[in-house]
Formats: sequence, structure tokens, C-alpha cells
Amino acid sequence: MSKLQTLSGAFDWRAEAIDWPVTTDVGPGLAGVVAAETRVMWLDPSSGELAYRGVPIDALASSPDFEATAHLLITGRGPEEDPGGLANFRHQVRSSRLLPPDVVDLVRSLDPATHPTRILRAGVSALGCHELSVDDDLSGSRQWRELRIVGQVASLVGEICRHRNGLGSRAPEEGCSLSEGVLAALNDRRPEPDEIRALDLLWVLYAAHGLDAPTFTSMVVASCLADPYYNIVAGLSALRGPKTGGASESVLDQLLPLDNPGAAEAWVRKAIDSGETIAGFGHRAYHMPDPRVVILRKEVAAMARSRGRSELFEIARTVESAVTRELAPKGVFINVNFYGALLFHLLGAKPPLAPCLIAVGRMAGMAALVSEALDNIRLYRPLSRYVGVGDRTP
Amino acid sequence: MIGNGPVCAEQTYGRGLAGLVVGDTAISEVDGIRGRLLYRGYPVEQLVGRTSFEEVAYLVLFGEMPDASRLADWTAELVRWRHPPEAALDALQRVPARAHPLAQYRTMMTVAACHIPEPENTELDAQWRRPARILSWTAGLAAYAIRHLQGLAPVAPRDDLGYAANFLYQTLGEPPSEEALEAFEASLVVQAEHGLHAAAFAALIVISTGADLGSAVLAGMGALSGARHGGANQLCFEMLARLEGPEHARVWALEALARGHRFPGFGHRVYKCPDPRVRSLEPYAEALLASRGQKKLWHTYLALREEVEGALGAKGIYANVDSITGLLYHPIGLPVSAFPIPFCLAIQTGWMAHCLEYLPDGRVIEPGAVYIDPE
Repeated sequence: MSKLQTLSGAFDWRAEAIDWPVTTDVGPGLAGVVAAETRVMWLDPSSGELAYRGVPIDALASSPDFEATAHLLITGRGPEEDPGGLANFRHQVRSSRLLPPDVVDLVRSLDPATHPTRILRAGVSALGCHELSVDDDLSGSRQWRELRIVGQVASLVGEICRHRNGLGSRAPEEGCSLSEGVLAALNDRRPEPDEIRALDLLWVLYAAHGLDAPTFTSMVVASCLADPYYNIVAGLSALRGPKTGGASESVLDQLLPLDNPGAAEAWVRKAIDSGETIAGFGHRAYHMPDPRVVILRKEVAAMARSRGRSELFEIARTVESAVTRELAPKGVFINVNFYGALLFHLLGAKPPLAPCLIAVGRMAGMAALVSEALDNIRLYRPLSRYVGVGDRTP
Repeated sequence: MIGNGPVCAEQTYGRGLAGLVVGDTAISEVDGIRGRLLYRGYPVEQLVGRTSFEEVAYLVLFGEMPDASRLADWTAELVRWRHPPEAALDALQRVPARAHPLAQYRTMMTVAACHIPEPENTELDAQWRRPARILSWTAGLAAYAIRHLQGLAPVAPRDDLGYAANFLYQTLGEPPSEEALEAFEASLVVQAEHGLHAAAFAALIVISTGADLGSAVLAGMGALSGARHGGANQLCFEMLARLEGPEHARVWALEALARGHRFPGFGHRVYKCPDPRVRSLEPYAEALLASRGQKKLWHTYLALREEVEGALGAKGIYANVDSITGLLYHPIGLPVSAFPIPFCLAIQTGWMAHCLEYLPDGRVIEPGAVYIDPE
């Protein structure tokens, strides 16, 4: 039996193995609970280190390539280690973007004003019906499906962007990368190289983040041996929550109406005084600024400058400093959604599309963490303590 | 309530969070040692046969048995939502018939969820509108899906029928017999809530992110669709149907036991004693099967249960609720692939109750993972 002081500041979440059962601290929202063992990623709340399969996030972000990162997360092999495998992987995810016409019809039959995450969920569900039949054995290896899911979700998100923007259906150009395909759908034009780079970067940074609520939901559902498309439907149901991926949408809703840094400063003061939630701040995992923020801030600054939107960056910077000044002493720091949402916006996404775009990146980590967990999983079935009324009779 | 537990405490638990207490609840007491299940303090076996599903759903969701006027309002609200969005019904035309029925049903639900208005009103009237809409829409969608599966035309709902009767009417195309209705209603009553099982837990994680109730129910459904969870009543029935009779059941069970075989419908993470829901439903199954001339199936079940419990009871393995519900749904006339559906309809009540209980100030549920170095 292992005994772990998981909520103490300096606790190291690395281990050689867990000797079940385990004794740990348990905080609200299951903070401190060890719900899984993983080789997929490494997240250290005390040092702010984040690595996928042992590769530090900074290294992956320096020349971002989402497909290679997805391959790394899912298979554990880097591009140098397995160039053939990566080429094959790219081919598979890209070619799985061709959606059945029925699925495209279903997406297009929905009101374009419907929240994009709801449409995405319906699309994934319908895809699952085409992908799996009642006779499929789901107990065996599912990896091919997870690879397909990454490409399929990217393709669906592209369709949803077009539908939302009043454009007709168009499949991604054959052979282009996932990010090129989604950007072309989003803006209805060939994307610029810096846009492709930025979207790859966003997806790399959003790809995996431990057992956040969407991933953990997916894992609980997978532990019941549901079909992989149901895992994704469930994960997407959590992803849109305003306390997780949905926060990206709220960030834009809050930032975009601010006209100048002065207005931003005033808004922050008012929001903090009235106890309003400021989206893009606060994270369970870190007791320090999220390591992905530094990378994204730089990217947003560059993109805003080149697009003549420097004022937007200045406004964001002002909000960041004002909130940090007020809340950092209370342990509330900026998180990935703040600059992440801004970068999605600079790439052409309206606020409601942001959570959906996050989903594409997140599919890679979800696929990796969930399929890893399936090897050695036990049904997630915790307990609750009854504190209600005593026996009574009808 | 759940989410408002002690700020930090030390706990010991196993894989799958076995033994971990997530928080406090006032909804149900699942006592796995004494084999008791209570909804808001009422033992479930006392509710069976006395209360309708509507009453039990109200009790589970809102904490008290409804008086006549509240029950009338609640019933009217449930009736109001018996027509799911057309688009959700149409979705079925866009998925292949060979897809798993639960995947088809899921697709209808995801499309229906696109028609839930947002942002959701959180005022009191909305508090019960949201669960009522989900309970009734899903029943309508499920009935439609089951008929579609059999190549049958849909049947419009009948406002004069209760929840259980209308579901069977819309599914079977004719009002159920009295005994079929009683048995079906009993199965909904005993399956309306069951603590923090995996599906309820999945729903709770989703609601903890601030997502809507429909999203939480979808995640719960996902968990339920898995073979380890809600699909078990179908698997158990198929196992029973393959056996030729009580004698064959005994011989096969002994042989399977010797091989270390695991039996769907037997064993439970919480109950280490006979499942109280099984005892409540067995009389209905026996009567219903006898009246349909299927006594042999009943005795096959009894023989299998005796053998398995005789061998494994000492290890705490007994028949669970999934072993018995198929023996109700088969004589009622539901197709085998639809067996998980009534469980889904009933148990989502409990998930929604847990979600409503968690909502006020529950924290996002995000546990940690230990990183194992590949070396």
C-alpha cells in the first residue's frame, strides 16, 4: 500500500508504480486523488513542468506539428524514432477526414446558431453509427479508431465552422494537414503559413492535460467498456462546461467588448469588486502560472502585431496584469484559455467556435490517455456517504 | 451535500476509485452489507407496487413524496414534453440500421440536445422543467428507436396514460396489459436511483464543469452503454435464453464455474449480499412468465441463480438487478436489444438528482494521475 501526501506543495506525482490500494489526501473536486497511472504525460503542479511522453512542452512548441504530437502521445514514439510510423499516421488521420454524406447532412440540418459543441457532439455520435456496427467486438484493440477519431473530429469541426459562417459544405483538400484543413474551412481561403503554425501550436498545447474533467469523463465512460465514440461524446459534453474548455468562449465574450487598456483596467476592478468570475484565470493543477501561457502570450503578441490588432493584445496584457496583481496573492493565476482563446480569435474564430477548436487538439490526448487506461482499467465506481433522512414508510 | 465535504481528508481506495467517498448525499442509501436500498429514506421494496414512477421520480429529484396537487403539476409537466424535436426523430434516417441501437438512440439524444434552449434558466420553475423534459423526451425517442429497429411505424403518445404505460404503448403499439404495466412500472421504480455508480459519477463530472443537465445525462448514458454496466441485462438474458432448461442450466453453470467463467448479471461492486431490487422484481417475473407459458425460463433462471450463488455467494457474488429485468422485458414484448433502454430511462432520474444536488457550489471534479516513468 502506498501512502501519498498529494496535496502538500512539494509533492512529486512521478512514481515507479502504484501499490494499490493507495492512501492519499482528498480535497474538494477529488483534488489529490490518484485516479490513474499514466505513461502518456507528465504534469508537475509544483514546478510547472509539462511533458508529453517525456518530451518537454517547450520542445514540442518550438516547431509545432500537431500530427507529430498526436502520434507521439498515442504511440509513445517521436518523429526521429519512427519516421515511417509517423508518415503512416499522417496518412491515416488525413484520409479519415472524408465524412459520410449522411453525417454532413445531419450537421447541416441543424440550426447554424446552435452551439458548435452541441453540433459536434451530434456529428461524432452519428459518425460512430457509421463507423461501428452492432456486431463489432469492442474488447480488442481500438487504436485504429482513435486515429480516425482525431481526423474525423478535425473534419467535423471544419464543417461546423463553415455551417456557422453560412458557407456550403466542402471537404478538406486531400493531403493537406489537419490544421490547414480546418483553417481553410474557417476562413474560406488558403491559410497563411503563420496561421498554420499558430493553430498547430494551439493544438499541441491543448492536446493533453492530465485528467482534466473532459478526459476523466471519457475515462470513466471507457471503464464501462462503452464504444469509443461514446467516450468522445461524453468527453465533449464536459469540454464545453464554462469551468473547462467553455472558458475560452467566456474569455472572448469578456475581452472583445473592451475598447482600450483604460477600459480594461476599469472593467477588471469592477469585476473583482462585484465577485464576478474572470474567465481565463485559476487552475487546479498549478500553484503557479500555467507553463503554456508564456508560449501563447508571445504567439498572440506576434500574431496581433502582424494583423494590425496590437491594441487587442495591449488590452489583454492590461487585464492580465490587473488580475494577476489582485488575485495572484490568493493563488489564482492565469491559465491556458486566456491567450489561447485570443489566438483562436486572431485566426478567425468567433467566440462560440473556440471550445470546438480546442476539442480537435484535445482528441489526441484523450485518445492516448483513454486507450492506455483501457489496458488495465477497473470500472470507476466510487462511493457517497448518506446523510439524508432516516427510514420512513410510504 | 456532495461537493461540500471536508476540505481535505485522508482516504484509502483501490483502482477504479473503489472505496473512495466522493462526498455526502441525501438522495439514496445503498447499503451493500445489509442489502438495503432507500430513496430519501424510503426502502425501495416498500415503494414497489405502491407508487408510480412519476411519484418516485419526484421523490428522488426533489426530496419528498408529492402531494396530490404537486403530483398533478409534475405529471402535467412530464406529459408536456412527450413530443421530442422532429429533428431528433429524423436523425434516425441518417444513421445505418446496423449501428448499435444504443448508438442510434445516443444520436437522437445529441440532436435533441441541440434543441434545449440556452442559456438555461436556473429559476425554480426551470429546476423541474429540465428533468421533466429529459425524462419525457428520452422515453419518446427510445420508443421511436425501438420501433424503427423492428421496421415499425412510430406511434404518437397518449396524454391519458402514465409515464410507464405511455412508453410501452408507444413502443408496442398497444396499451399494455395490467400485469405487464405493473411489472414494468416496478422495474422503473427500483432502478430510478443507485448512488454514485459509474454512470452517475460520469454525469456528476460533467455537471461539475458547469455544463447543462442534458450533457450530464449523455455522459451517464455513455457509461451505461458499456458492457460492464447497463448492457448486462441483455447479456444475462441471452445467456439464459441459450440454456435449454433448469437441468442444462445447472450442468452448464457448474462447468462454467470450474472454468472461472464470469456471469453477466451476477456480482456487484457495492452489494456483497442479495440485491434488494432482485427480490422486489422476482415475483413480477415469475407471474408474468407463468402467464405467458414460459415457466421453464423462470426455472432456468432460478437454477442458474442457485448454482452461481451457491458457489460464489460466500465470496459476496449474488444475482444483481440485471439478472432479472430481462425476464420482465421479454414477456412484455420488448426486443432483446432494447433491454438496456428502460434502465436508462429510470436511472437518469438519479443522475439528475445527483447533479442538482451537486450544482450549488460543487467544485470541478479533476483528480490527479501518477506519471510512471517508462524506464
